[in-house]
Amino acid sequence: MGAAPLVLFAVFVAGILLDSGQQSEVVLLPDADGSVGKVEVVTEKGVALLEEAGQMTVVSGASAPSAPVIVSREDIEQKYAQVLAVEPEAPARFLLYFEQGSTNLTSASEGLLTQIVNEVAERNANSLGIYGHSDRTGSDEYNLRLSLQRAEAVRDLLQERGVDVKAIDLDSHGEGNPLIPTADGVAEPRNRRVEVIVR
Amino acid sequence: MRYVFGLLLVLFFAATLSAAQSIGTVKTLTGSAFVERQGEVVELEVGAPLQVADRVVTRADGSLGLILQDDTTVSLGPDSELLLRAFVFEPKQNRFSMILKMLKGTFLYVSGVIGKLAPDSIELETPDSTIAVRGTRVLIKVSN
Repeated sequence: MGAAPLVLFAVFVAGILLDSGQQSEVVLLPDADGSVGKVEVVTEKGVALLEEAGQMTVVSGASAPSAPVIVSREDIEQKYAQVLAVEPEAPARFLLYFEQGSTNLTSASEGLLTQIVNEVAERNANSLGIYGHSDRTGSDEYNLRLSLQRAEAVRDLLQERGVDVKAIDLDSHGEGNPLIPTADGVAEPRNRRVEVIVR
Repeated sequence: MRYVFGLLLVLFFAATLSAAQSIGTVKTLTGSAFVERQGEVVELEVGAPLQVADRVVTRADGSLGLILQDDTTVSLGPDSELLLRAFVFEPKQNRFSMILKMLKGTFLYVSGVIGKLAPDSIELETPDSTIAVRGTRVLIKVSN
């Protein structure tokens, strides 16, 4: 038996080993609002930056990510049809505002309660988030307490209107999750809010 | 001494309880899927709660979409495995962390509030790469 078949066999085995390696594909899609984010794919051997809708990079085994290429929308929709079909609907968000220093809703926000009740029924929501937020004036303690009381008031109003969702995540985020970022001590009425998220 | 033991017991249960907190729920499901939690298999249905360290697995006929507390959504196609390695969403303390490991299959990841407030605290991992995201929608496919 000559050396040639052995060499061929070795090449064949090496081919299988290389081929059996992991492969990952990453494809950047536009956000729901049409804007496009950025994705960086990093391996030990290199980096690929995706910043255009439909760009894809492939990592095979421990290789560097391939140079990004554009994949057509049809190809994406075909290849990923099943996972795209089960994407949860984006949560619906409602912002409720209050009279200053109190747990009474402004009359405009009171009208929103019915909309929230309808949204819960329409999407058969199984989880609600009710989060009190404050601006950055007043002490942290006062803000946390008031925004918690406001969140509780909203929960009670929704339950009085027949909302029956078991998983209610109720919390006061205080100043930590502002709608409009400001410096400390700045009064920003748009940040004094209760956010209701219907999931 | 007995009191110390009692106190330790209470602390132990408190720690277990906080570890078992729900970090999200299953929102959509077709076919069948389960979660592997502390060595046990729990079948999933719509509305089922999810916890840190859960390994979410879809069967050959299954696909599902889940939503985490910060409104991040992750969808899994058939024959897929996702490990929820870490999740911290505490805007009050300005503490955020999310580590998701895509072990195999197809995934659609859509950023939530952590992606907006602290994108650097998000890590998406595949067996051979890490993916850093800046507020976006990404498809990922991992094949063996």
